[in-house]
Amino acid sequence: MAEAPEVELRIPCDPQYISVVRLVVAGIGARVGLTVDQIDDMKVAVSEACTNTIDHAFPPDESASKPVPITIRFVPREGELRIEVEDVGQGFEPDRVIAESREQPSVEGGLGLYLIRQLADSVDVQSAPGSGTKVIMTKRSAR
Amino acid sequence: MKLQTEAEQEWLAVVSLGGELDAYAAPELRDALLQALEQDLVWILVDLGEVEYIDSVGLGILIGGAKRANEHDGELAVICQRPNLLKIFDITGTRELLNVCEEESQARELLEQRRGATASGQEGGQEDG
Repeated sequence: MAEAPEVELRIPCDPQYISVVRLVVAGIGARVGLTVDQIDDMKVAVSEACTNTIDHAFPPDESASKPVPITIRFVPREGELRIEVEDVGQGFEPDRVIAESREQPSVEGGLGLYLIRQLADSVDVQSAPGSGTKVIMTKRSAR
Repeated sequence: MKLQTEAEQEWLAVVSLGGELDAYAAPELRDALLQALEQDLVWILVDLGEVEYIDSVGLGILIGGAKRANEHDGELAVICQRPNLLKIFDITGTRELLNVCEEESQARELLEQRRGATASGQEGGQEDG
C-alpha cells in the first residue's frame, strides 16, 4: 500500500477550533488503521497539546491578539500515526514540565501533559524559552 | 454543547450535558455549577449521559465544582456510562473524587446517603455542643 501523504492544518489560537482538529484526527486515524479507542486517545492527546498552546504559548498581555496560528501536522506511516502540534510562542524549559507531568496530578491544573503522556504511545516535547514549542505524539496501530 | 440545569427539590441541582466538554465549552459548565452553589444547591448531580468527549479542561471544572460543593458541606456526583470518558476519569484517578456512577439511581442514592450522613453529623454536633 502506498504511504499516505502528510496533512497540515493551521488553526487560530482559539479554543473553538480544537473540535475541528479532533475531526481530522478521527478521519486520518481511521485511514491508518487505528481503532476507535486509539482514535479517542489521540483526540484527547492532540486537544490537550492545542489547549496548552492556547493557554501558555503567549504572555497574558498578548493573549487578546494571538495572531499566529497553531500548526498541526499529521504524518501517517505504516502501522502508526504521528501528530505534531507546533507553535511559535514563548516556549518553556521542557525538562521541568515533563518531570512534573510524570506524577499523577492532584490539582485542577496540570492534567494536560499528564493525559498526553498516558494516551499517546510516545511523546516528545521540543521547546526552549523564546523558541516556540513542538509536541510530537505517536500512536501505533494495534494490527 | 447542550446544558440544562434543573433544581430538583430544594437541595439538589441536576446539570445535564450533551456534546463535547472541552476548553471551548467547559466555561459554560463552570458558570452553571457556580450558579447552583450561589442558590444554595450544594448537592449537585452532573449527568454526562450525552457527552461524547471530555478533556483536562472539562475535568478541571468538575474537580473545581466538587471542591466548592464540599466547602459548602455538599457534594457533587457524576453520571457517566461512556467508556472513553470513564477511561479519562480512571487514568487521572478522579473517579472517586467526582463520585462517578454509571447508573443514575446509584448517583442519586449516593448523594442522598451523604446528605443524610451530613445532616445527622450536624445534629450530633449540635447536641454535643
